[in-house]
Amino acid sequence: MKHVVVDPVTRIEGHLRVEMQIDEGTGKVIDAISSGTAWRGLELVMKDRDPRDAWAYIQRICGVCTTAHALASVRAVEDAFGIKIPKNANYIRNIMAASLTVQDHLVHFYHLHALDWVSPLEALAADPVATANLQTTVLNAYKLNVTGYPGISTEAYPKDFPKSTPQYYATVQAKIKAIVDSKQLGIFAAQWWDHPDYKLLPPEVHLMAVAHYLEMLDKHRELVAPHVIFGGKNPHPHYLVGGMPCSISMDDGNAPVNTDRLAIVDRSINTGRTLINNYYIPDLLAIGSAYVKAGRVDGGGLAKKCVVAFGAYPIEEYNGTTNGGFFKKLLVRCNGVVENFGTPNVKFIEFNQEDLQSPDTISESVDHAWYEYDKQGASLHPWEGETKEHFTGPKDGTPTMWKELNAGGKYSWLKTPKWHGKLAEVGPLARYIVIYQRNKMGLLPDPTWAEQMMLQQIDMVSKLLNVQPEVWMPTMVGRVATRGLDCQLSAEISKFFFDKLITNIKSGDTAVANMEKWEPSTWPKECKGVGVYEAPRGALSHWVNIKDGKISNYQCIVPTTWNACPRDDKAGHGAFEQSMIETHVQIPDKPLEIVKVVRSFDPCMACATH
Amino acid sequence: MEKRETMWESYRRRGLSRRTFIKGCVALTSLMGLSSGMVSKVVEAAETKQLPVVIWIHGHECTGCDESFIRSAAPLASDLILNNVALEYDHLLSAGSGEPFEEHLEKTIQAYNGKYILAVEGAVATKGSGIYCMSGGHPFLETLQRAAKGAAAIIAYGTCAVSGGIQSAAPNPTGSAGIGHFIGAKDVVNVPGCPPIPEVMTGVVMHVALFGKLPPLDSQGRPKQFYGNRIHDTCYRRPFFDAGLFADSYDDAGSKAGWCLYKLGCRGPETYNSCGNIRWFQGMSYPVQSGAPCIGCANANFWNQGPFSDRLPKYGPLGDIDKIGAGLAVATTAGVAAHGVLSVYQRSRRDAEAAESDEVKGGEDK
Amino acid sequence: MKKVQREIFYVFSPFLRVFHWIMVASIIILFVTGLLITKPAGILATEPTATSMSVDLIRNIHFTVAYIFLAAFILKVYGFIINKGDRLFPHFWRGYFYAQTVDVALHYMFLRNEHASYLRNPLARSSYVLLYVLVAIEFFTGFAMYLMTEPDAFSTQLFAWVNVVLGGEMITHYVHHYVAWFIILFAIGHIYMVIRAEFMEGESEVSSMFAGTKILAHHPLDEDDVDPDELDNADRLKRWTNVGEGISKIRNVGGN
Ligand code: HEM
Ligand code: HEM
Ligand code: NFV
Ligand code: SF4
Ligand code: SF4
Ligand code: F3S
Ligand SMILES: [Mg+2]
Repeated sequence: MKHVVVDPVTRIEGHLRVEMQIDEGTGKVIDAISSGTAWRGLELVMKDRDPRDAWAYIQRICGVCTTAHALASVRAVEDAFGIKIPKNANYIRNIMAASLTVQDHLVHFYHLHALDWVSPLEALAADPVATANLQTTVLNAYKLNVTGYPGISTEAYPKDFPKSTPQYYATVQAKIKAIVDSKQLGIFAAQWWDHPDYKLLPPEVHLMAVAHYLEMLDKHRELVAPHVIFGGKNPHPHYLVGGMPCSISMDDGNAPVNTDRLAIVDRSINTGRTLINNYYIPDLLAIGSAYVKAGRVDGGGLAKKCVVAFGAYPIEEYNGTTNGGFFKKLLVRCNGVVENFGTPNVKFIEFNQEDLQSPDTISESVDHAWYEYDKQGASLHPWEGETKEHFTGPKDGTPTMWKELNAGGKYSWLKTPKWHGKLAEVGPLARYIVIYQRNKMGLLPDPTWAEQMMLQQIDMVSKLLNVQPEVWMPTMVGRVATRGLDCQLSAEISKFFFDKLITNIKSGDTAVANMEKWEPSTWPKECKGVGVYEAPRGALSHWVNIKDGKISNYQCIVPTTWNACPRDDKAGHGAFEQSMIETHVQIPDKPLEIVKVVRSFDPCMACATH
Repeated sequence: MEKRETMWESYRRRGLSRRTFIKGCVALTSLMGLSSGMVSKVVEAAETKQLPVVIWIHGHECTGCDESFIRSAAPLASDLILNNVALEYDHLLSAGSGEPFEEHLEKTIQAYNGKYILAVEGAVATKGSGIYCMSGGHPFLETLQRAAKGAAAIIAYGTCAVSGGIQSAAPNPTGSAGIGHFIGAKDVVNVPGCPPIPEVMTGVVMHVALFGKLPPLDSQGRPKQFYGNRIHDTCYRRPFFDAGLFADSYDDAGSKAGWCLYKLGCRGPETYNSCGNIRWFQGMSYPVQSGAPCIGCANANFWNQGPFSDRLPKYGPLGDIDKIGAGLAVATTAGVAAHGVLSVYQRSRRDAEAAESDEVKGGEDK
Repeated sequence: MKKVQREIFYVFSPFLRVFHWIMVASIIILFVTGLLITKPAGILATEPTATSMSVDLIRNIHFTVAYIFLAAFILKVYGFIINKGDRLFPHFWRGYFYAQTVDVALHYMFLRNEHASYLRNPLARSSYVLLYVLVAIEFFTGFAMYLMTEPDAFSTQLFAWVNVVLGGEMITHYVHHYVAWFIILFAIGHIYMVIRAEFMEGESEVSSMFAGTKILAHHPLDEDDVDPDELDNADRLKRWTNVGEGISKIRNVGGN
């Protein structure tokens, strides 16, 4: 038995440590722990703040999924005060949310995850001519020609097409060679490049992917231009309780939003669509199918037992979350839970406002986390949530020099969120599983265009891989693949809401903010609210209690908190731990498979611990 | 230690012409806000200096600063990190992880002792000897101090690294602080902002990379070229401020016309940053241009200077200092008036007593 | 009517008096324009293309007056040098100062019928020091805000530390604004006290700030603070005049 530690796990957001016990003979992971090793106490920082400022503070939980927390926060505060935002504000927020998802997923695939699949060293052996040919083959074979959103189009033809000349690949290869020769590997330093997994793909795939890595490093910035137009900057654009700050006027060049500014948003959305369709999806499916063909369908973990999603994109403005308004007209009705996916006992349970309010449904416990509750062993609903740190140190080592964390005791700064006392996986995979299963059980009447697109994507991928969704989805590859599909979907959703925004402005409505309840005198003495949002990494919820015009308690349950949480003595392992346990490790000293499966969740530890 | 190539060598290696190289230098010169007379110096620097090694470490942060960095358009982040510097250690982009990666850090620190640039993102958690921010099994504080020792230059990226940032906002649960106090006597380039503008971040590295020295700094250690103006003094809405044309509420006629956001609490008059001149995404916008008042995100302690919606703090039903002050003025006036009345009464009694005693001892005076 | 002898003291030099009235005018203008800077009134608005830049104008008045105020202070300093009556400071370092303060305070609290006579009573002395401190804060915070348009200029470096010490320009702006209100509260109390002294205590306060002389019915305890050497008893007697009826009891509370 070998105790293996990876700390830091890099190419993620924040500070993550994983430890596992590996049977050296079989490569089987016997036990694994996932530990968030930094805690900033942001829930405590929220106390006594003006609820109208909450978004700005809590947005700083994370600069990678920037805006996710700002959006959940304004939704929570608006829910507490009973504010209904104008139509335009809803469209704009949805465009911002969708463009975040597009950019975040794309950066994850190329810059945070790709180097687990492809290696610049392998790329040196590639033949540039063959690579150029491969590019064409891949485009033909793996470009998913799904039916997106058929709205008005301002684009004559796709502007970004993968460069596929041998010269182009030769230049990129020369560049890589020069870096390798100089022995100054820079960002490519210190990886287990000799791991056998890198041999799973032909050199040409490596070269193509590394080239696209570089292309996307220059391109991704353009995808968040909507944040810069509507919120003034990115990361961390500005929001407003009651709507958006970016007033609209077609009469004024100084106005935050006018035709000229909208054209920038339109361009950005179209760029996203072409980049995803021509680079991301083909690259992803080319690599993924090679893995599936090689029989690598492990790492599914908790996805097979329980996935949770809250539902995404209210099509029109709504009145409150606690009262169910949010769930009434969703573009993607993934608000649900699927248990035992792929087994005969599969179950779908709809998720709505009642689930949000009941401590039996949503709660967090801290038995293995460095916190304590007033009542030991309790599992608290976030409106009654407590954040009291209680660091207990490692099992082996000192508080400031860890050798081994205490799997039997407390070992992480993440709380353990639960759905009906069970642990669950959240994220794009969860969203796709919910929609797929819900539809399969006939519980998705009149699918929206977006839901249809999701079903079509799943269907096309299943045909490409020649396996059932039940087989390929709850795996590591499935997790990575559905993220790509989610990215493709999100670009179309941006387009959809952009069209709606234009149509609404055309009809003469330029309102972006409802200021009726801006003044504290209009607020109830005491109130509480919840804001939910399907962030790139999954179901996010912010919970706010307000008293005498100030925040009296603020709790966040974040996607990566669901996925990376420490174990629960009754419910078992969280998604990270479970997926590590289900992954086969070839060389215990070089646990590439482990960091790969962990990164397949796109971990965000600043989010998770906050 | 391997021989490190210069920027010129790296251009040659890639088969790029001397002309392309000079063009690159010219672009860099203007990027760094230097006069065109400086081109020859830039060329010289790029020819003779070796590619500098950058070590980028993460404390208590949100990675918004990294994200901003990789959004840089001029220079493109890719060009910077693959051509102009050797980014040997960075939790966000580096391929390696775990033990081999930590060993690589140690080796880099030793091999390039006294020569590397240390970029720090995030605050230092000081409470409990640093247990709130651990990485590689030890506190970030230790990594910072170890890496700072051999650094040629230290860059504090973002408000977190400069002054503690969001986690240091009251009640500062983890005792977080800016890196300044923990790196010995080293000079730091402070690049505040939450996050800083992408081109501001990359511009600073380019300066150090090419000139081998820190850019000119102001009294607070900030590069003068990027923090030399208040947003208010470069804001495109300033004429409206001067003219007294203000948005009184979000989404009113004034805000649609792009009038000044001062009355909505704008911190532009207090904030040094390039938002008004460089702006975000190469001139595309900045919070004010998108209708949102500046919250002062490049200022130390700005998180404790809320609420952001007003220029003056409000004290619940008491209102702000103007309301309280006016109330106090009225109360003081009433108080002195009452005092006056009482004084008149006191004097009349005193005079009466005096007259009485005069009468009593009347004879003595004569 | 009984005649009472009163003594005339020449206390304030013209420099102090002129400065005082410039200060009065400046503070009123600075206060009003200052409040308008924080909350510009609707009527200030003009089209930006029109030439009169309203908030700009208000700010310029504020800054111009601030400079005039500062310049006028030089008058005060000159008076301070040439005339002892211009430096009636609180004698914190002397025991009697506290006894006298209590004396005056008890009187103001109606617990004593009257207080001893002073050229400038110890409470007033302290209050003026307080006022000068408040004004100094306004100067430093005001210039710290004003000059920071050019943060690297030499003049700015003289004041930039203020922003650092206070913890940022936002705090500087708060401090400047809050202290302005304290100055106004002082002024209300001050104007009342001088009028009260004039009419209640028969001490010609108000006029002193015009003429420079105080005409007192009683011998002031702090007489030595103004040119005692120049005055021998004979001189002093010459300056006694009969100016009306008054009270002739002096409670000696002084310690020296
Ligand atoms: C007794 C003296 C003074 C009083 C009562 C006074 C009062 C005020 C008030 C109430 C404000 C508004 C503060 C805010 O909310 O921003 C203000 C602003 C200001 N004052 Fe003064 N002030 C005085 C002296 C000065 C001096 C000596 C200067 C030096 C130049 C000065 C410069 C400023 C500046 C620069 C502002 C900010 C203007 C702006 O934001 O555009 N003040 N003053
Ligand atoms: C904003 C309004 C005012 C301020 C800030 C102010 C401030 C001062 C200060 C600082 C002194 C002490 C002079 C020195 O030793 O340097 C003083 C003395 C005096 N002020 Fe004013 N003053 C104000 C208004 C007035 C007004 C309206 C009057 C007259 C009605 C007045 C009458 C006097 C008199 C008589 C003295 C001399 C008091 C004594 O020494 O016993 N002041 N004032
Ligand atoms: N987990 C997480 Fe986030 C996301 N997506 C949060 O809501 O990354 Ni920073
Ligand atoms: S300064 Fe702001 S953006 Fe940068 S790490 Fe800190 S919180 Fe994130
Ligand atoms: S919007 Fe803000 S920064 Fe711009 S002029 Fe107005 S107050 Fe100044
Ligand atoms: S909030 Fe920050 S981004 Fe600029 S406009 Fe203000 S400094
Ligand atoms: Mg939480």
